Amino acid sequence: MAWTLRTFSSDVLDVDAARLEELAADEDALEALEVDVVRGGEPVRITHVLDAVEPRIRPDGRAAFPLEPKAGQGVTHRIDQAVVLPCLDFPGEERPLHEQESIVDLAGPGSELTPFAIGTNVVLTFHGRPDAGHRAIDSSTRRVTLAAAELLAALTLEAEPDREETFELGPVDESLPSIAALVQLSDLGQLYQLYVYGEPAGEVGLPRVVDPAEMLDGAVTAGEYHWAAMRNPTLFFQRNSLVTTLYREHGKRLRFAGVVFMRGYEQSAADKQRAADEAAHVAAEVGADGAVITTDGGGNSHTEVMLTCRACESAGIRTAVVLAEETDLDATEAILTDWVPEADCIVSTGNLEELVPAWRPERVLGGDALLDGTPAADVAPIPVRNYLGAANQMGQLCAGAMSW
Amino acid sequence: MLAKEIERAGITTVFVSSLPTIATMIGVNRTLRGPAITHPFGLDEPERRRIVERALEMLEADVAPTTVWEVAA
Amino acid sequence: MVKAVHYLNQFFAGLGGEEQADTPPMRLDGAVGPGRGLAAALEDAEIVATVACGDDYFAEHEEEATAALLELVRAEAPDVLVAGPAFGSGRYGYASARVARAAAEAGIPAVAAMHEENPGVAAVGRAVVVPTGPNVAGMRDALPRLAALAGRLAHGERLGPAEEDGYLPRGLRRNRQYDRTGAERAVDLLLAKLGGDTRTEVGGAHDTVPSPPPIPDLSHALLALVTEAGCVPQGNPDRLASVRAHAWLRYSLAGEERLEPGRYESVHGGFDVTLANEDPNRLVPLDTVRELVGEGRIGELYDCFYTTTGNGTPVATATTFGQEIAAELRDAGVQAVLLSGT
Repeated sequence: MAWTLRTFSSDVLDVDAARLEELAADEDALEALEVDVVRGGEPVRITHVLDAVEPRIRPDGRAAFPLEPKAGQGVTHRIDQAVVLPCLDFPGEERPLHEQESIVDLAGPGSELTPFAIGTNVVLTFHGRPDAGHRAIDSSTRRVTLAAAELLAALTLEAEPDREETFELGPVDESLPSIAALVQLSDLGQLYQLYVYGEPAGEVGLPRVVDPAEMLDGAVTAGEYHWAAMRNPTLFFQRNSLVTTLYREHGKRLRFAGVVFMRGYEQSAADKQRAADEAAHVAAEVGADGAVITTDGGGNSHTEVMLTCRACESAGIRTAVVLAEETDLDATEAILTDWVPEADCIVSTGNLEELVPAWRPERVLGGDALLDGTPAADVAPIPVRNYLGAANQMGQLCAGAMSW
Repeated sequence: MLAKEIERAGITTVFVSSLPTIATMIGVNRTLRGPAITHPFGLDEPERRRIVERALEMLEADVAPTTVWEVAA
Repeated sequence: MVKAVHYLNQFFAGLGGEEQADTPPMRLDGAVGPGRGLAAALEDAEIVATVACGDDYFAEHEEEATAALLELVRAEAPDVLVAGPAFGSGRYGYASARVARAAAEAGIPAVAAMHEENPGVAAVGRAVVVPTGPNVAGMRDALPRLAALAGRLAHGERLGPAEEDGYLPRGLRRNRQYDRTGAERAVDLLLAKLGGDTRTEVGGAHDTVPSPPPIPDLSHALLALVTEAGCVPQGNPDRLASVRAHAWLRYSLAGEERLEPGRYESVHGGFDVTLANEDPNRLVPLDTVRELVGEGRIGELYDCFYTTTGNGTPVATATTFGQEIAAELRDAGVQAVLLSGT
């Protein structure tokens, strides 16, 4: 089953702010929406960023972010170097799991940490109705953001693509090692979860094998608002480096065995162990000789990753694990929040605690003050931890760390 | 790390700590998660009893390398 | 032309052997002994002075000697401080490391050279260590590598990763950009691992100790209590340090049913000891263990407990302490240990 992705230049973008604002007008839980278009390189800091979504549309009229299977078939259009950044400061006191600041800098030292400082950023600054409650506001912002991403891509239906790629896994040399991607999706309740076809990850029967193209084609969307640097925004699934690398290497250095979605953030030790055992079992079922295990979220879900690593290795499936470090700046040893001896092959996506030198933007979008009240333009060095996706643990970026 | 060297001498050891991660990274085999850095063996006697008894169970258990137990079983 | 100062011990500075090991800190002009070979290998840098100290003098007057040497070094306003090579010599390595560390803390880039198992390695702070062979036969190999690093530091260059730039990793982590994504690196590493070559970007191998066997019958076993939480008799009669303990201590538990507050305290400098001082059994559970011995659950409690402060203790030191304590416990026939950590 092949899937074709057509890429269109961002020249095709024509942002009609009024039309986008209309999308929010239908949502009771939202009071207002401001639309700003900014470009990478401009001295802009964007705060309270919830997610990042690439404009996508399907010529056959099916949803770009479908609420039911099956994505990853037929044709989808994407706009290159364009991203929608929804921003929201949740009103009210109730902050269940201390969601933390989330920043994107389009220039300055922080601009190197996230992949948004090139191209066109359509910033949607949402204002929630104070009495609507966080869940309703979140559902509305996500709905409007995805609708906006699709609306922005509509002009591609009348344009010529720059290029076209087809994703398909044909039969290849059986002597090549078979590699699976075990992709962790977290679910700690609304505001801290990823969605598969619009359903919270914890409710879709994980672990589950999916067609890799489904992951690239809008099956997974994000709604997780803690640990900014460790978030896996929607964009990182749409443009996923692990899956596209495995497609590219299929038939060359490996056979791509498939993608397994597995659960993170189970709350009890027994549930964590069960999730790990089941994921390893599914990896064995797809015939994997090796698996790359990726992480979603903070230390709590690192435990599942390590347990899954151990379970796979016990089943004879060799593993490589991707995760971020939380190394104290004076520590004499890299600090991983969890570890098992079987995890002898780890890719580090960088140290969250490292400080990015202070930088003063000329313009701030999303909100003038950070969540802790500091004026956003006026801050001291900011830890990597607070930059959206900067240490994401699917290995999307070139970030890493070294011993010195 | 003391615990590892005592283990190396063949003496069965339970390391009680509120930061078991570092211990497992270093390779300590039996770690019991204690309630806090300020009172690894608990605040009051009933809690201390539960922690010590769990530690004794761990001394008697055949565990996989670098195992961490919780006090509440 | 940038300036370097070179630290040597009494032997390499040409002052004499062991009999001159009590030489106090002193200064010599230019390069001396192996410093000449070092100077020849340095590019665009000269050794303007050599500072030296006897290994025994340093060991017995550590703080004053370090301060005096630092003064001598600072007087030259150098661009780099180079110490050693000390190879496997423990006292010389430790002194080199302390001097290098003091220089680095004073803002002077510093590099020492010694064998990677020299105890000095753990004492070097943020200064850099170039690994050498175990003895002076490695001099010819060490000098050019030491000169290369010293030259770069003297010219204000930022060092790259330890493995690439020829120095021992200090365990500090710094973020960097690779030219491949983390995912691409993961696929590369996994394929290499499947091919028999296992590498990791973080974590690394720790030597493993096999798990000692489970105690078959605790009701007949001898159990000992050990703590890293700095629990000592009130008043800390043996002056256990709160940070970077230089010793471990052993105290008798004979006649004690529990650790009474006011008779025991914690001197650990790394956490709030209020709760521990209110009831020291929170760190060393003597009261509960005595009860369990009385009930027959545990055979016998060893009549001493062992204590140190696990706060900033370098790995090499902690390992030595552990080995010494373990030896005593083993000789005493102790079969089980409860160890409270921090």
